[in-house]
Amino acid sequence: MIGSMIKWMQRYEGWVGAGGGLCILAGLYLGLVVSPPDYYQGEVVRIMYVHVPLVQTAMLAYATLFVGSLWYLWKRDPIVDNLCHAAAGISAFLTALGLITGSIWAKPTWNTWWTWDARLVSFAVMFLILAGYLMLRTFIDDPEREARYAAVFAIVGFVDLPIVHFSVEWWRTLHQPLSFSMRGVSMSKDMLIPLGVMTVGFSLMFFYMVMIRTQMLYLDHLLAAKKGRLLSRVHLSSDVGSSPSSLSTP
Amino acid sequence: MIAIRGWDLGKSYGHYRVFEGLSFEVAAGECYALFGPNGAGKTTLLRILATLYRPTAGRFEIVGRDGVAEKEAARAALLFLAHGSYLYDELNATENLRFALALRSVTPAHHQIKSALDRVSIGAFGDLKVRYYSAGMKKRLSIAKAMLIRPQVLLLDEPYTSLDESGMSLMNRYITDSLKEGAAVLMTTHDRVRSAEVTHRLGVLDKGQLRQFTVDELKTHAIF
Amino acid sequence: MPFFNVIRWVAWKDLISEVRSRETISSMFFFALIVILVFSFSFSMDQAAARELIAGIIWVAFAFTGIIGLGKSFSAELQNDCLEHLQISPASKGAIYLGKLAANLLFMLIVEVILFPMFVIFFNLDVVEELPLLLLIFVLATLGLSTVGTLFSAMTVQIRAREVMLPILLLPLAVPVMIAAVEATRGALHGDPLSLYGNWLQLLAVFDIVFTVLSFWAFEWILDS
Repeated sequence: MIGSMIKWMQRYEGWVGAGGGLCILAGLYLGLVVSPPDYYQGEVVRIMYVHVPLVQTAMLAYATLFVGSLWYLWKRDPIVDNLCHAAAGISAFLTALGLITGSIWAKPTWNTWWTWDARLVSFAVMFLILAGYLMLRTFIDDPEREARYAAVFAIVGFVDLPIVHFSVEWWRTLHQPLSFSMRGVSMSKDMLIPLGVMTVGFSLMFFYMVMIRTQMLYLDHLLAAKKGRLLSRVHLSSDVGSSPSSLSTP
Repeated sequence: MIAIRGWDLGKSYGHYRVFEGLSFEVAAGECYALFGPNGAGKTTLLRILATLYRPTAGRFEIVGRDGVAEKEAARAALLFLAHGSYLYDELNATENLRFALALRSVTPAHHQIKSALDRVSIGAFGDLKVRYYSAGMKKRLSIAKAMLIRPQVLLLDEPYTSLDESGMSLMNRYITDSLKEGAAVLMTTHDRVRSAEVTHRLGVLDKGQLRQFTVDELKTHAIF
Repeated sequence: MPFFNVIRWVAWKDLISEVRSRETISSMFFFALIVILVFSFSFSMDQAAARELIAGIIWVAFAFTGIIGLGKSFSAELQNDCLEHLQISPASKGAIYLGKLAANLLFMLIVEVILFPMFVIFFNLDVVEELPLLLLIFVLATLGLSTVGTLFSAMTVQIRAREVMLPILLLPLAVPVMIAAVEATRGALHGDPLSLYGNWLQLLAVFDIVFTVLSFWAFEWILDS
């Protein structure tokens, strides 16, 4: 198993990356140039073509982390662990970007930088969970334990997110009366196509980034192991000093 | 019957390789003493066999059960007397024993506990909180625990430390009794004199290599 | 049955150690008192404002106090390497988890039950009829914090920055518990009919079941080599 996933990634990463790049370029052209402005929001709506794919891809990234974590606990394959670590880092990055773009979109549209909407809050909680995941990995020294604990945490967090969403949604219906309406975007076909293209593009880019980063982490570990072998050869063969319990054959 | 067996065991911590390619066997009724300089990895090897660490290479079996794949069965068969006493300070000796035994699904009768404590000469301190025990008393309590559990495999990490003269004799008596009952004993130690009273074979772990000898070879070779 | 025996012994061991040392509960209690005091000075509250905010203040106090107790649950196992003992014990790890959970739940509930009268006194609350319901809310919500909290306590006890990692990992996941606990408590304190806030109790119950099962399963991965 050790070699084949890495080999597979090396083979296809170029295609995935190129495909993603093309889709994003196409999507940007369609979204920023060709598609019409929104009836209510005007040109501001164009940030949706970046924000929505970011959010979708961030969630796809966490789903990848979730599946990867289950896979790791099942097979204990260290490359799967590298995949999880990569997916988590990229997911955190995408989530942060999603929150920021969401905020930038919200200000001109709803005249507020933040609102306690169920999706926003659960998305923010997802960011906190991912940040916690990355901190957990940083603070554990033993790599095997690190992989195991991180996988468990990712799984528990993933199960929790829908519950977070529900609870905030119920809470909001209690505390945010309907007078505060958040008008959405009336989606026409001209908007769905660029949005779809951008989403596909971002997803492909995510996969590309995961493939690259997984290989990077794998190489990091490989380097550490080789360094260890080199250093150990020194330790194991040194003749410095003669210990009292060393043997001398007659 | 081979009670402890290791094939090509290796352990590395990322950058640092402690040892590799260790192979050895300890039969039932046999005592094996492991020597070596500080930092050689004796305790690490013992802790791997106790299923506390995973080996990074090779495999091992405890009473024929694979130490990684059949961990639970291996753990049920072995007892590890480590540096840490595994005792709770707020509990007294009797309570600590009952707790440790409950974790192994053993429910001893009151008189069994009392007699174990007496045999290790801490019967008088049975009701004292372990917080007030000296290191030697804690060691004796561990021996009492082992007497009640009667494991098939005994892994001892420097069993003679903290014990006074009578304590060390007690430890050797206990080891001898266990060997007679068919247990296998693997200990790490620096005490050549005391271990020589009970050991059948010994190994020296140094610079990642394990060199093994029988006690008879000790007599003919100038080993130490 | 050895499984239930292990649960009983682990819980008993934690409880009796606490009774003899009185470390955990007293530190939790005084910490909570200080939290209450700080909140009282932070908001200048008249009667009406107090009624609105008090449920939130109660649960913030309980949550942070609870985290102290949860942390101590496993840091107490570091003495004499007892955590290792649990790791290599042939006992079911799930049973150890349930024993720890029971002890943590009990400690947190004891502190809450002692603290709540203080809240009633300091903020002049009127609660007599709602007491059984409030107790139910306390149990369900505290269980929610304890299920994942016990798991994460075991996870963080041996890592660097352990005191801060437990709240960092636990609190985002505990958002549903906090929301439900505060809403249900507020409803009960207002004297609202149960139908108005009963759904929050259901949410707590679902959370408790889901995460007890999940943590029970996951514990084996955590407390092992």
